[in-house]
Amino acid sequence: MAEDIATIVTGLGFPSIDAFLAVMFLILAIFGVIVVISTIRPVLSMFPYTYPNARVRARMGRIFTEKQFSEIIESGNIEEVKNYLRGYPDYAKYIDQYPLEKALDIQLAENYDLVARISPENSRDSFKFLLKKWDIKNLKSIIIAKEVGLSPEETMDLVIPFGELSDKLDALIDADDINEVLSALEGTEYTQILEDSIPIYQESRMLLPLESSLDKYLLENLLRTVATPEDDNTAYLKNYVGDLVDSTNLKIILRAKVDGLKFDDIEPYMITDGYQIREWKLKDLMEAENVSGVVSGLEGTDYASLLAEAMTDYNETGSIAAFETALDNHVNDTAKKISLKNQFGIGPMIGFLSRKEREIKNLKIIARGKREDGFSPAQIKEMLI
Amino acid sequence: MVEIALGTALAAIGAGMAVGFAGLGSGLGQGIAAAGSVGAVAEDEDMFARGIIFTALPETQAIYGFLIAILIMVFTIMAGKALPASLGLVAIGAGAAIGFAGLGSGMGQGITASSAVGAVVENEDMFARGIIFTALSETQAIYGFLIAILLMVFGGILG
Repeated sequence: MAEDIATIVTGLGFPSIDAFLAVMFLILAIFGVIVVISTIRPVLSMFPYTYPNARVRARMGRIFTEKQFSEIIESGNIEEVKNYLRGYPDYAKYIDQYPLEKALDIQLAENYDLVARISPENSRDSFKFLLKKWDIKNLKSIIIAKEVGLSPEETMDLVIPFGELSDKLDALIDADDINEVLSALEGTEYTQILEDSIPIYQESRMLLPLESSLDKYLLENLLRTVATPEDDNTAYLKNYVGDLVDSTNLKIILRAKVDGLKFDDIEPYMITDGYQIREWKLKDLMEAENVSGVVSGLEGTDYASLLAEAMTDYNETGSIAAFETALDNHVNDTAKKISLKNQFGIGPMIGFLSRKEREIKNLKIIARGKREDGFSPAQIKEMLI
Repeated sequence: MVEIALGTALAAIGAGMAVGFAGLGSGLGQGIAAAGSVGAVAEDEDMFARGIIFTALPETQAIYGFLIAILIMVFTIMAGKALPASLGLVAIGAGAAIGFAGLGSGMGQGITASSAVGAVVENEDMFARGIIFTALSETQAIYGFLIAILLMVFGGILG
């Protein structure tokens, strides 16, 4: 037997069995390395997400369920809502410190801040950029507060202490007028945007141009951070941000059509490169005569069917709230789909932020319903998203 | 220089493969599970004990690899006899069986354990079901372990 093997080995050109075994071992070693590398590579791409995903899933488990929302809605008044929230550590730490709406916003901002801090490097820039939404919200609140003459104390109640401008907030709140706000912002990326849009606001007294120019800055640059996806995770993030951009564009166009605005009025506030709705399509939509023209112009996109359904409500009420709800729901659905498809990557983080955003919006709706007279629990439930 | 027979050298490679690859899979799996558990504990201190249990599960693959490596060493290298090349090859087969099975099983179990930790921290009732799902990936390592033992028994190392 051994002689037979030796004959085969020498027949193959090997001087001895030892040399044959050495070559065989080398081949096996190369094969082993290939197996190990190809097995490990996909696992290593999951590795950076395991820690942040466990943290966001813990927070996801603390998001209020439908049953808990029903209990909050059944509260007799706003004080009972606050008492209910005091029972949950996530909210308890802010409820007695700030007015209710501000406490809710701070809780939401804290979650955005956490995700921006713990997200892996390849998506951190985008989540960090998302934090600027608090800068933009604060700027809008401060400018409006200055215009209507609110005191610094009253303005303070509107401001959320998160974002890159948090160290400038005191100076901005103490500013006597808008010009002082602009000087306090000197050297930041917002100076130019506000210098362009504040005169338009002061002349027209319409908030749309001011809000839209700030939102445009945020979303356009957010889209830029995800422009070239490196992997599946960043591609999913681009999908989510892209849907946010599309839905913002559509909301502006629909609102403008209800107000009878033309192409030239809307064009400066459009985020030019959307996701499903590209530049040429946006032009068509902006040139549409009315709301139904916009809806029919969306044929061939995901938005056609969902806005066509909301069209019935619009025809009955004349309010674009149904369109806005449908678009918000579409963005939430996208986030939910991503969180299910990409459970070991960026999915849970996107899904969590979307669900948290919805929770806070619903809590604000309940707070408003309890504060204003005449809303029954059933009516408040109907208003929830 | 000490003269080592070819069979003995091959058995040493087999022992190395057994503990090396199984340890690699187990280490990666445990790392993934531990990263998830640390995240869970950062949010909920009560998760510590359950996090430890999930993190410990991918340890078993390294234990199987370690056991096979010890058996190979005791019955071949440490026996002090010159080993024929054929027995050395059997040892490599046994080492590869538990090594590669442990590599895949360890990584798979780590991923499931990390996901289970996330599920438990989100909903406490998921603990038992999480353990069951995580334990499923153990089977591949058990197959590798059994085949390694059978190879050694019928290949003449443990005979």
